[in-house]
Amino acid sequence: MRRRETAAAALIVAALSIGAAGLAFHHKARAADHLDPPARTTGEGADVASDIADIFVWNDASTVKIVMTTAGPQAPGTPPTYDRDVLYQLHIANTGDPTTSQFDINIRYGKDAAGNWGVQFVGIPGASGPVSGPVQTVLADGALVKAEAGLFTDPFFFDLEGFNDTKATGILSITSGRNFFAGKNDTSFVIEFPRSAIENGGKPINVWGETRRITGT
Amino acid sequence: MKLVSLLAPLGVTGLLLAGCGGGDSSSSPTPPAIAAVDVTPCLNQVVYEGRTVANLVVPDVLQLDMNQPSGFPNGRRLTDPVVDLTLAVLFLDLKSEPVDTLAKLPLDPSSTGVPQLASFPYLAPASGGAPAPGAGAGFAFRTDPPAAYTRVDRMGMPAVATALINGANKTPYNDDNPAIDATGKWVPTIKSDLLALTTPLIGQFRSLGLKTCATGGTGS
Repeated sequence: MRRRETAAAALIVAALSIGAAGLAFHHKARAADHLDPPARTTGEGADVASDIADIFVWNDASTVKIVMTTAGPQAPGTPPTYDRDVLYQLHIANTGDPTTSQFDINIRYGKDAAGNWGVQFVGIPGASGPVSGPVQTVLADGALVKAEAGLFTDPFFFDLEGFNDTKATGILSITSGRNFFAGKNDTSFVIEFPRSAIENGGKPINVWGETRRITGT
Repeated sequence: MKLVSLLAPLGVTGLLLAGCGGGDSSSSPTPPAIAAVDVTPCLNQVVYEGRTVANLVVPDVLQLDMNQPSGFPNGRRLTDPVVDLTLAVLFLDLKSEPVDTLAKLPLDPSSTGVPQLASFPYLAPASGGAPAPGAGAGFAFRTDPPAAYTRVDRMGMPAVATALINGANKTPYNDDNPAIDATGKWVPTIKSDLLALTTPLIGQFRSLGLKTCATGGTGS
């Protein structure tokens, strides 16, 4: 069994390598959605602020939590990426039809007169209105609505170095003890709200996110 | 678990061409024909609760049944091993191989190595030191409607846009939305790219005793 597991692991590296060739990797760190689409999020003029890294959605007995990570992965010490001209959107469908959303959450960054960055969340289910305030600060609306934007550790994990080494050398060198994303950060936001605000007779919810950049000035 | 091994050159993984052996072809037995690889069974296999792989990736959204335990592919928690789970549902026959076959190895790291927080905001503080809490008031946010902005990126399921949509299709895929996905527009592309991933590997999967969801190809 041990031999089969080892061999299976090696085979998956081969699979990833072949996939990488097809994907025309020209950056080391494309993974869940980091640096995709590459024509817009890599190279000269890359729109780093608009680059979604990952989206997470889960719930507990009373609340739903949604996380969007962006602008990563960045090395420690790199400041967060806030951009007033980008609109971050989360779309939630609760009718069983994933193609039409019933809840749209809009997130924007902006500065005050002193140059401090703030964040605004509009449309959080269960919130009494827009939720806004300084970045890197827990913002609340009542007991169950919370939101925060700021710099956090990238939660994604994947041995991308082993993957790239394999691609370059043909020698498999993957290890479960190595995570390319370890110690790197993303500019992210977290939203929590009451599940009762979107529950619809036991139907599943469907979530997707997008980033949009202002057209014109 | 460090894995170091030699990999046969990619692209020569067993897809031998009949009639290329040279010598006295008149006396050589004709190799049996190799059936074309078909990944349709992979896209049609059920992952959970009647949802097929195709249902999971088209349209490109994350679905969460709040009455079932959260955990990819029912939603996605910060700690879910999505890479290993995704590879399993794309390549392995889930009737024979559990969906967590690769995650149990584990193939990739099984966590970030930094614990996520048990309570809000759940994400671990920034590596190298979290920025100080923000300050200020009276922030100037844009008020333009969404239509005044132009799409840059979209995401639902992890790795769909990155692994199953290739090359020149990436930008137009990111410009679409779940309603367009649901028309089936991207199904041929996804199927074609999955076939390209599977074809060179299917014989190797089988030689390791793993049952593949794809049919045809080499091995048994």
